[in-house]
Amino acid sequence: MSTLDRIKKVAVELLKIQASRVQETSRFVEDLGADSMQSIELVASFEEEFDIEMDEDAALGVKTVGDAVKFIDQVIAEG
Amino acid sequence: MKVEHYLPLLPEAITILKKNGCWSRHWSKVMVSKSFDPTRIAGTIFRGDVRIGRLDDHFTPKDGIIRYAGIFDANLHNVVIGDNCHISNVNGWLSNLIIEDNVLMEDVGSIVCQGETSFGNGHAIELLNEGGGRELKITEMTSAQTAYLSTLYRHDPDLIASLDSLADAYANSVRSDRATIGEGSIIFHCQNIVNVKIGKGTILRGVQNLKEGSIASSPNARTFVGDGVIAKNFIIQKGAHVSDGALISGSLIGEYARIGKQFSAENSVMFCNSEGFHSEVCSIFGGPYTVTHHRSTLLIAGMFSFFNAGSGTNQSNHMYKLGPLHQGIIERGGKTGSSSYLLWPSRVGAFSAIMGKHHANFDSSDFPFSYVNEENGHSTLVPGMNFFTVGTLRDGLKWPTRDRRQHKDKLDQLNFEVLSPYTGQKMIKGITILLDLYAAAEKDQEYVSHQGILIKRLLLKTCSRYYRLATEKYLGDVVMARLISDSASNLASFLSPDPGAASGDSFWIDVSGLLCAQPRLTDLLERVKAGQVTDLQFLQTELKKLHGSYAKDEWSWILTTLPHVFGFTASALTVDDLRIVLEKWRVSSSKLLNMVEMDAVKEFEGNVRTGFGIDGHQEDDFINVRGNFESNSFKKQLDVMRLKIESNHQHASNILNKL
Repeated sequence: MSTLDRIKKVAVELLKIQASRVQETSRFVEDLGADSMQSIELVASFEEEFDIEMDEDAALGVKTVGDAVKFIDQVIAEG
Repeated sequence: MKVEHYLPLLPEAITILKKNGCWSRHWSKVMVSKSFDPTRIAGTIFRGDVRIGRLDDHFTPKDGIIRYAGIFDANLHNVVIGDNCHISNVNGWLSNLIIEDNVLMEDVGSIVCQGETSFGNGHAIELLNEGGGRELKITEMTSAQTAYLSTLYRHDPDLIASLDSLADAYANSVRSDRATIGEGSIIFHCQNIVNVKIGKGTILRGVQNLKEGSIASSPNARTFVGDGVIAKNFIIQKGAHVSDGALISGSLIGEYARIGKQFSAENSVMFCNSEGFHSEVCSIFGGPYTVTHHRSTLLIAGMFSFFNAGSGTNQSNHMYKLGPLHQGIIERGGKTGSSSYLLWPSRVGAFSAIMGKHHANFDSSDFPFSYVNEENGHSTLVPGMNFFTVGTLRDGLKWPTRDRRQHKDKLDQLNFEVLSPYTGQKMIKGITILLDLYAAAEKDQEYVSHQGILIKRLLLKTCSRYYRLATEKYLGDVVMARLISDSASNLASFLSPDPGAASGDSFWIDVSGLLCAQPRLTDLLERVKAGQVTDLQFLQTELKKLHGSYAKDEWSWILTTLPHVFGFTASALTVDDLRIVLEKWRVSSSKLLNMVEMDAVKEFEGNVRTGFGIDGHQEDDFINVRGNFESNSFKKQLDVMRLKIESNHQHASNILNKL
């Protein structure tokens, strides 16, 4: 699965939304309805999904699904 | 009030008094000062022994109407009246009183002392457990710290006996069959005041009924008791403001507390800078800055400090069938959201935000800075999250600036630090617990349970990182401040504990506002039990000294904790180790501000604009009412803090290079 697909899977499970709603341009808060707690849980879920550790403040600053893809790919690349 | 040599009334004076409508069965019992002016007394009945001072001055109160010293239309019984008092329109009696100099009293019912009394001092109130077992003997000298010890150290009966004995001794020292109205007090439009000791400079205006109590006051910390207040068996401490129909029963109102708007307190203490309006408290230990402002809020059988109660906050202390026996603790810095509910017994960790209704008994005291949430009827915890919120940062900044106490000899010893060895040790322990829980959890497990509360497995590692970040920031804060302010010229002296500091591995406690290393308090309590602390004033002095040892004890704790937290293994810290501490501090401090800013910006974006622009122009309406984030004062404050992080880091690094 691509990074995007894995992010979609996590978002669908955690936010309990239909997969079709999750697009690269979707904003986690405004479009997908993530509240502040769910935002933290999303970060934790991504960390577990990709077996990475993300910078807390930078990760919470990511607004869209597409940005999350770039951010996570970069974290993975930096090893 | 100076001791006067009173003289009997001269026949001419009696003639004038009679002509002015005064009456006494025994004029010989009315004694007056040397320069007594009988023309300044009219319509007054004298009973028993009456002493009257000079009457040759005047007052100009706030209403601008001059009142001349004198006694007009009053009924006096066994009263000593100091120099230059104005007493008028006393419908009932002034009886068994010592009225000191310059008291202004107008339009009152009765102010009397009936038999011997200690004026509320020594009265035992049932704190925390309504059913009893933690009775506190309140006195004018009771501080948040002495109350904490008396209420909570029931494991040590000898200590409780000693503390009770000190309270009893104080009560006996003020016991009298005469109530004093302190110099410079102003008493307007009050009804009945029975067995109440009134301190210097007290202002009573429109009081309805006061019985068995003391109002501590001084010229530079004047206490106000106002309209419609009904109080019985009470202590009101210096600078407090109690008004607007407050109902006080068996309670202590601390220094500069503000109480009013029909607030009701029963068997409770509300220490310094607390605020109680509209709502009700019953058997609470309201430590410093306990704040409840909403009519629908009940605080019962709980201990709080630096606390803010949301509207509709409620707790239950009837868990089983044997009565209201259960108690709760919300450690310092707690907040409850609207309509939150807690089932006692429970204990909530420091600086936590409680939302929703909690029907489980839990103990989250190992996890400061947490969100306590309700999810599907279960209590859940997000450890550490509340450290990164606007609210916690703002609270930490605002409490010191809102300390209304400006007088000397403050009773409550307060440490305002959000990060301290107290919260630091909890966070370090919290990291261990969270990682242990993570290691033990199955991957398909949604929650783990700890001390009665659920934590999402997914968040265990995240939250442990929050604690690590906050801990690194705290340790760095202190190292940074020491480097900048310390005059040490070499590394060895910089890394030395201060003389007389407590051991660095001491356990730290929060004695209702006073943070200290436990062995230091234990030592003091041993001296109390041994009878070496002879009165409450002495105890107060010792607690103040204990409070004064915070900085050196904190440094000792920091020095011991640094290697453990940062993984330094060498026998002694090096300059390179300290560089790591500073760099971690720089990163963690910046991250904190970034996360707080992300929390703050939520106030300006997304659906928070709902309700603005009722007929259109939502953006303009919002901007004109709320402003924009970039120009917000808090945002500007954050920007200043960011610059300070960098400049302090640079400054401290330079100092480090010279060590």
